[in-house]
Amino acid sequence: MERLISSLLQFVLVYLILGLVFTIAFMSKGLTVVDEGTKETSWKFKLLILPGMLVFWPLFALKWKRSLK
Amino acid sequence: MLKFADYGIFSGGDLMGVKYEAVLWNRQKKSYDIILWGMIVGILLVFVVSQFLMHPLITLETLIIRATALTAFVLLHLILMIGPLARLDHRFLPLLYNRRHLGVSMFLIALVHGAFSIIQFHALGDVNPIVSVFTSNQNYQAISEFPFQILGFFALIILFLMAATSHDFWLKNLSPKIWKTLHISVYLAYALLIAHVATGALQYENHPAYWAILILGFASVTGLHFTAGFNDYKRLTKEKYAALEDGFVEVCTINEIQDDCAKTVFINGENIAIFKYDGNVSAVHNVCKHQMGPLGEGKIVDGCITCPWHGYQYLPQNGQAPAPFTETLHTYIVKVIGSKVWVHPTPKPEGTFIEPAKVEQT
Ligand code: HEM
Ligand code: FES
Repeated sequence: MERLISSLLQFVLVYLILGLVFTIAFMSKGLTVVDEGTKETSWKFKLLILPGMLVFWPLFALKWKRSLK
Repeated sequence: MLKFADYGIFSGGDLMGVKYEAVLWNRQKKSYDIILWGMIVGILLVFVVSQFLMHPLITLETLIIRATALTAFVLLHLILMIGPLARLDHRFLPLLYNRRHLGVSMFLIALVHGAFSIIQFHALGDVNPIVSVFTSNQNYQAISEFPFQILGFFALIILFLMAATSHDFWLKNLSPKIWKTLHISVYLAYALLIAHVATGALQYENHPAYWAILILGFASVTGLHFTAGFNDYKRLTKEKYAALEDGFVEVCTINEIQDDCAKTVFINGENIAIFKYDGNVSAVHNVCKHQMGPLGEGKIVDGCITCPWHGYQYLPQNGQAPAPFTETLHTYIVKVIGSKVWVHPTPKPEGTFIEPAKVEQT
């Protein structure tokens, strides 16, 4: 049981770290492409959506990829 | 905007603007936030003082754990009661539009409680503290047989997801449907927390008064929801009978009409096209003035019903072709009652303006 939970937790951690790496790249380039409303927004806005980004980043990776085509 | 105002406890009145702001603070919201935080500090103080009076030897950590837990729990009750209150009495609406800040504040306070609990009860052994929340009561002096912390943990995750997605940016990017589903799970969090308290703290602080308070809180939340639901039901039934009496006919549900499209019906020999556009519903005669094309098979383009055959256009509200054209259609009175669309099959003179029916928020 403890092993299972430990590995689950590690998985979540890796997922969040990947999310952070993605989010840093995404916020400097892709964000304004995926959602026009984010043009000229402040760093405060980006900070506000950061926690959610760490969770939902695969969705934005998909949106970003689609917009490149 | 109003349309999304009741989608979840963290939704607010911020406009679905073109450009996002970090937080839209206008004067009204600022004063709301000042009152909100004044109230939060007040509640916290009440619990700190009462804990001191009841347990003069309480440690700082336990004090923080309990005062933040109780404050967050009280706030959650308030949050859940605002929705039905606003449905029962429109004077509560301003609270509803500002609920998002209340929700985020509540999460932050609950987070302090969760973090301190984990440090206090789970960080002492050599097991990872979060793992220890799950592997349960063996690592510390058990205060309850049931691993109630797990319930609190999952509730906290839900509250986190909701707080993290409270900005309009998320409503748009997750899609309203997913966003709404996510935010409805506040009720799951609430159920988890009732269980968290009942199987945790109330197992050793089991004075009947605590149970009474817990049950009273739960009864208030559920009672208000039932009252508001029953009220809506009564109002809809009344509206329905009034509509029937006035000669309206029920046509379909609002979801059966696609955005910017129409549904056509034959009633008493009248051929009617009912259009839905921008949250409005309007009905016109289904026959184009040019060569009798089926308007209901056309779409709304640039705000005008556009005939599928040769592109003649008419405004849905009054059946008039935009200037310089002069064609006009019969219009019909429509109503939206709950999720149903009703139409009055008596045609109005060609070109008569009819106030569009608004699609009700669900
Ligand atoms: C990681 C998540 C959580 C953990 C580990 C946790 C742990 C605990 C513990 C150990 C207690 C007993 C404290 C004591 O009485 O000394 C407690 C009580 C309580 N918790 Fe949590 N909790 C968590 C999340 C939450 C959340 C999200 C809420 C939401 C409001 C909440 C509300 C409460 C309440 C109302 C009590 C009773 C307070 C009292 O003892 O007087 N908990 N929790
Ligand atoms: S029939 Fe409608 S435009 Fe010709």
